[in-house]
Amino acid sequence: MNALTAVKPPKLETVTIRVEESGRIAFKGTITTENPSADVGAFMLALHKAALADKRDSVEIDVSGLTFVNSSAIRLFIDWASWLRIPGKPPPYVLRICASRTITWQKTSFMALRSLAAGIIQVHEVD
Amino acid sequence: MRFRPAWAYIDGIREFGRFFCQTTFGTAELAERARLIIQETLENAVKYSSKSPESELELMIRASDDVIEFAVSSFPDPAHMENLKKELDGLNARDPEQAYLAAFERASTETQASARLGLARIRYEGGVELSLREEEGGRVCITASGKL
Repeated sequence: MNALTAVKPPKLETVTIRVEESGRIAFKGTITTENPSADVGAFMLALHKAALADKRDSVEIDVSGLTFVNSSAIRLFIDWASWLRIPGKPPPYVLRICASRTITWQKTSFMALRSLAAGIIQVHEVD
Repeated sequence: MRFRPAWAYIDGIREFGRFFCQTTFGTAELAERARLIIQETLENAVKYSSKSPESELELMIRASDDVIEFAVSSFPDPAHMENLKKELDGLNARDPEQAYLAAFERASTETQASARLGLARIRYEGGVELSLREEEGGRVCITASGKL
């Protein structure tokens, strides 16, 4: 077992998060809580630290099952990208995001994030 | 719809609004826009509402011809009013996509501040324009209006 797959996802009412053996992290449901940084954000930070400890080249997250989120949840993805931005250096790993091309918030948010974090984030669109 | 400014009500009211728009206007696309607009306008109103007993929120959904309006009236903390006006002025000075990208950029550089993506998201993702009206007694109404 490596550090990434050992990270335990939080148990939440409206979203299911699964860390697969491959290291891929899948989200399903909705996130509309007032302060998602307290649980989902803390989980993402733990994944980031584990990815650094494992010296990974990339981390893959699948958000295509995340049908609706509020802007505080979108902020969590922006934060993750900012952890990977080290001035003058390449990112320690690439964040690969599997997103749905049919879910509006995913199309708009990851378009914006991709333009802001080129080379840090890769978005793979699925139906 | 009138209710106390409590976070616990937002999910239920948002999903009712989505169902209402889907059922009344028959388009999934409008229902999705309604879902987003209601979520973000109510979140904003709940977060910044005064703690006074008269600080009820009111959500109105109104359609005429080819325009739909979502109006959220609240009784905000006066300290928040100037920030809200400034935020709206800044957003309305740019086209929706540019304002949305600028909000992302700001969130990525001001990592300790709150997200402040909601209003830009409403305009761009929701396909509406936002306006603010101050009412008697300190109430404020934010209206999101766009094509049906």
